[in-house]
Formats: sequence, C-alpha cells, structure tokens
Amino acid sequence: MFQTRSSFLAGLLFCALLLSVGFVTARAQTASPPDTKLALRAALVVTPEFCATKITKGSWATIKETFEVGKIACVELEPALERVFSSLTHVTATPSSGDVQVVLMPRFVDVAATTTMSAFSNREMDVFLEWTVKDMSGKTVWIETVQRSAKHHMGNLFTHKKNLKLIVEDSVKDAAEQSASKMSSSPELRKLSH
Amino acid sequence: MLRSDLVRILRTLVALSLVPPVYAASTFPDYPVSPASDYSVSTQTAGLTIGLVAVEDLKEQKTYFHTEVAPKGFVPVFVVIQNGSKGDSFLFDKTKVTYGPADSSVSTPKEGSKAGESLAVAAVPLVGLFFALKLISNASEVQQNFLQKEMQSTTLSPGASAHGFLYIPVPKNAPRQKIHLRVPITRASADETFVLDLVF
Repeated sequence: MFQTRSSFLAGLLFCALLLSVGFVTARAQTASPPDTKLALRAALVVTPEFCATKITKGSWATIKETFEVGKIACVELEPALERVFSSLTHVTATPSSGDVQVVLMPRFVDVAATTTMSAFSNREMDVFLEWTVKDMSGKTVWIETVQRSAKHHMGNLFTHKKNLKLIVEDSVKDAAEQSASKMSSSPELRKLSH
Repeated sequence: MLRSDLVRILRTLVALSLVPPVYAASTFPDYPVSPASDYSVSTQTAGLTIGLVAVEDLKEQKTYFHTEVAPKGFVPVFVVIQNGSKGDSFLFDKTKVTYGPADSSVSTPKEGSKAGESLAVAAVPLVGLFFALKLISNASEVQQNFLQKEMQSTTLSPGASAHGFLYIPVPKNAPRQKIHLRVPITRASADETFVLDLVF
C-alpha cells in the first residue's frame, strides 16, 4: 500500500518536473539590443489596421486557427524599440512633418505554425515581421524582415485557446526584441544617427 | 488494485510523452548556398551580384520541401544576392520583384538596366506564399518550411549577402516557357533603383 502510494507520488513529481522543463525550454530565446542608443528621433507607425492584423491558417481538413498577431505587436513593439532610439513617439498614421528623423513602419508578412496530434507535444510558430524605415524626405533607408519563433504545447480541447495565445505572445514578443536588436546593429541607421 | 492500475496508466502516459512523434523526426535540409557568381544564371551591376537556380528536379523538390512543387504549378527558384561594394548598402524589396515570359520577339532584357527604362515584358508581381501554400500542401510542417525558406525583404550592407527561394507560378503538367525575372534593387544612400534582369 505504502509502496503503491510512493510510486503514485513519484509519478506525479516526475510529471511536474517534465512540465516545468517543457515550459522553460518553450520560452523563446531573445537577444538584447546593444547598450548604445541611436541618436535619432523616431516615430513608430502602428495603424489601426496593423493592430488588428489577424492571420488565419488551416482548412476544414486540418485545424483552422486565427493568430491575432497585431494586438500583441501593438503592445510589445514600443517598449522594445524605446531602448534603441534616443526618442520614440507612437503614431497611428505616417507623419507628414514634425520633429522626427525616421519613420518606422512594421508589416506582418505571414505566420506559420505546425500542428501536432498530441496535446502535450510542442508545436512551433514562426512570425515574419517586415520593417520599412524611411527618412523625413520619404526615402527608404532600411528594410528588414525579422523571423522569430516560439514553441508551446498544442493543448487539448480545453487548453488549446490559452496555448494559442501564449505561442502568439511569445513569438511576437521575440520578434519585437529581435527587431530592436537588428535596428540597433544596422550600419545604415547608425550612419544616420551621426 | 485500482490504484496500481492508475499508476501503470500514468507511467505509460509519461513514457509515451517522452517518445517524440514520428513527424517531429522529419527534417527539411537547407538548400546549399554558393557564391552568387557561381550560378549559371547570374548578373552583376554596381558591385551587386545576383545568381539563381530553378530547382525543377522533382527528387530535389522532394528532398528540400517534402513535396513535389512543379505538379502544383510552381517552380522554386533559389536566389543569392551579394553586395560586393565597399561603401554602398542596397535594399531588396521582395514585393517589387516581378516575373513574366521571356519573349525573344521583344527587346532583349538589359543587364542592370535602370528602372525607368521600359522592357517589353509582362511583369506580374510575386504575391508571396499566402495563397499558394494551400495549393501546395495541407501539412503544416511543409507549409512552415516553405515560408522559412522563402527570400524576404532585406538591406544588404557592404559585404553582406542574402539568399532564399522565390516561388514562381508555372503551367501545371506542361513544359514551361523561359521566365524573365526582374529584381529591383535600391541603393540606400542615393535612392537610385536598378533592375537586375535574369532569364532562365
């Protein structure tokens, strides 16, 4: 009786350990931007359309899912990019004039996500975020596509929605961090800041 | 008795969770990258070199994409762009790339021609993979691999290079005509656009 109970407890402990390891490894890896800020006054253009970006994948034959990437991006981009520019303002339309030197325009190119048969298997989601940076004359000075991914459990009937939200959050957060890192290390933007 | 059965079930579940599923073992190899000038179809202008190869062999398509792409009406074209200049940065915008039939009866495409010069070619923009993926495969891993391998818009700093696939629509189950690919590249400092023309 005591032995059975011990085995049961040991099994539970093992499961908990596995889950915790899974969650730790599922967290996306991010790179921090360099310490020196770009001496540029930047405007981040997050239009209502961008914030409402939803990408639906799948078909009736597989599983149909909607990835609400815009909503998360509109929360995550500003704090990530604030660490890169000496000044960053958040606007909802491209400014025609004003006290900014560069205009940062994000666009979601696409997302891709694997699906798994098992609720406890990790799935992977990639997000492709394209940046166009223009100067105040309207000239494009930098363009880059950031591709980042995150892993989470597929989830079952009850947890799928929550897991979907988590994987979107992690991949978009990671894309925001990676965007900051790429902008910060860009020779073209560094040149402009001198 | 009931509890020991539960323990056995739990152990089996734990053991099963440790076994990676069959599909997880499937990997998509990267397509080998060579210097841009090494490709049989290549051109150079302003220190920028672009080379490409159309991956038309069905076995190769199976290897790199786990599906045959040509019968679904696409040809994967592997593109390498290298910036060999010492001081100029160039912008590659995927959305500006166009393709069309290379008609010998019209003016011959000029290498590194200026964007303003007209070329008699039906220029169709590449719309990306968003709609094409469903036609190619329903498997999410296959679709993800297509996206991961696709060439994306980027800035080519001095000495930098970029590579990836462009997926060009072709007629299904019929020999394809020669394709004229137009790749506009903008010099970042001068806002000057060149078009790199490639026929394959």
